[in-house]
Amino acid sequence: MVGKALRSRSFRRIKVKVPGGRVVVSFRKRVPKLGSCHITGEKLKGVSRGFDYQVRNMSKSSKRPSRPYGGVLSSRAMRLLLKEKARRTFGE
Amino acid sequence: MFDIGRIVMKIAGRDAGREAVIVDTIDSNYVLIDGNVRRKKCNVNHLEPSHKKIDIKKGAAHEEIAKKFEELGYGVWSTKPKQVGEKPVKVRKEKVEEPAEKKPKTAKKKIVKDAEVTSEKKAEPKKK
Repeated sequence: MVGKALRSRSFRRIKVKVPGGRVVVSFRKRVPKLGSCHITGEKLKGVSRGFDYQVRNMSKSSKRPSRPYGGVLSSRAMRLLLKEKARRTFGE
Repeated sequence: MFDIGRIVMKIAGRDAGREAVIVDTIDSNYVLIDGNVRRKKCNVNHLEPSHKKIDIKKGAAHEEIAKKFEELGYGVWSTKPKQVGEKPVKVRKEKVEEPAEKKPKTAKKKIVKDAEVTSEKKAEPKKK
C-alpha cells in the first residue's frame, strides 16, 4: 500500500524498472507550470521554471526579463500599456 | 514624425517607459536617442512619439540634453564612472621567530636522562 502522503495527485506517477526486474510506480513532484500573461494569455518567455531549490540559486537577471513588468506581462501587453501611458503623459 | 528634437517614450526593452529625445536619424527605420535612457541606436517601432519638441542640434551632446530634460522635469540617465580598485597584492607572512620558548621543551626530554644520572648521584650519598 502506498504511503498516505503519496496518494495525492500533486505527485506524478512514473513507472520505473528496478534492478530486480520488477516495474514499480515511483512518485515524483510535478514541475511548476509556466506563468502566463493575464492580458494577452501568452505563456511568458524568459521566465525560469523549475523546483524552488533550483530557482532560488539563480541570479535575478536569469529569473525574468529586465524590462518593466518583466515576468508578469508579455512584451506585447507591456507595449500596449506604455503606449497608453505615453499618450496620457505627453497629451497634458 | 521622428525628426531631430522630438520627445519620445521608449516602449520596448529595459528602458521602456522612459522619456528620450531624438538626436539623429540614421535611416528611415533607425534613430539615435538620448535623455533618460542609454544613448543608443533605436528602431522607431520601439518608440512612441509625442507632440513636444525641443531645440537641439543634430548629434547634440548628452550634457546639453540633460540640462534641457531637467528644465522639462524629466529624469536624466546617468552612469556612474567605473572606479578602478587597487589590485590585491599577495603578501607573504613573515616567519615569527619563537625559538626561545621551544628550546626548553626539547631540553626537557634530555633532562629525563640527566634525571637518571642525577638520581644515581643522589642515591650514592645515601649509601654512605
